[in-house]
Amino acid sequence: MNGKKAASPRTKVVIVPCSGIGKSYGTVSREAAYDLTEELRPDAAQLVPLSLLVLGDAEARAAVAANPAISIDGCKLACATKMVKESGGTVAKDFAVLDVYRRYRQFKPQGIAELNEQGRQLARALADEAAQVVDDLNAGGKSG
Amino acid sequence: MADFLEFTIDKFTFRVATDRWYNDQGVWAKPEGGRVRVRLSDFVQQRSGDVAFAEVKPVGTTLALGDEVAVIESIKVNVSFSSPVGGKVVESNPAMKDSPEVVNQDPFGEGWLAVIQPADWAADSLKLLDAQAYFGRMKKEAEEEAKKL
Repeated sequence: MNGKKAASPRTKVVIVPCSGIGKSYGTVSREAAYDLTEELRPDAAQLVPLSLLVLGDAEARAAVAANPAISIDGCKLACATKMVKESGGTVAKDFAVLDVYRRYRQFKPQGIAELNEQGRQLARALADEAAQVVDDLNAGGKSG
Repeated sequence: MADFLEFTIDKFTFRVATDRWYNDQGVWAKPEGGRVRVRLSDFVQQRSGDVAFAEVKPVGTTLALGDEVAVIESIKVNVSFSSPVGGKVVESNPAMKDSPEVVNQDPFGEGWLAVIQPADWAADSLKLLDAQAYFGRMKKEAEEEAKKL
């Protein structure tokens, strides 16, 4: 989370990545979320950590409840998507890292604490796709 | 409908169908009207994790017993699987190209790999494990895996 606390502007799309530790795909989901919220669309998207939703943090839940959400799941348990729904939010688009990898086979992620270069590229590709969804949502469109 | 042997360890339950034969890798062979359907065991698909890509030998390929019949890339591993039967590939599951996740989602249904016209099934089947023997081997492997967790 880079020490950042979830912001709660009511116009920002919420990004909720997987919080799984110990698997490359979970790391890709988080790196993609950082790319999206810190570099690609810092003014249009905000990161809400899954852990805060699990803990029932009021500010995080309010952000999720008040804004469209994009969940990024590292595995088929889809914890991020489930927690957005359980927190009263609406999932505008759910990304699964494995599905994204199937579209970018050249970017095979490896490493956990530190992704390999391909993993970084996969995270960026995912972030680019999510940025498009953010743009669509802010333009008034619906994603699915 | 097949009967199953079942083993649960930790949060995982593995099923072994009793009406087919298995090789050492957990690839099973099931005779169907003179042909043999091939796929991964429930234990192997669960242990491998979510499948990202599956490449199965195309129709027309002639395989000897033990030749590579498929390569699976999952979130955990890349594995080459050997054929439990020699013969010619007469069907290659088209779902493996577009939706390889069926290996995990439907291991006893749509998640098959190939159908092979066997060259000598009677001889090949003698080199395979029956369900009870495979169950014992699988159980031991699962217990060893669990100890690593």
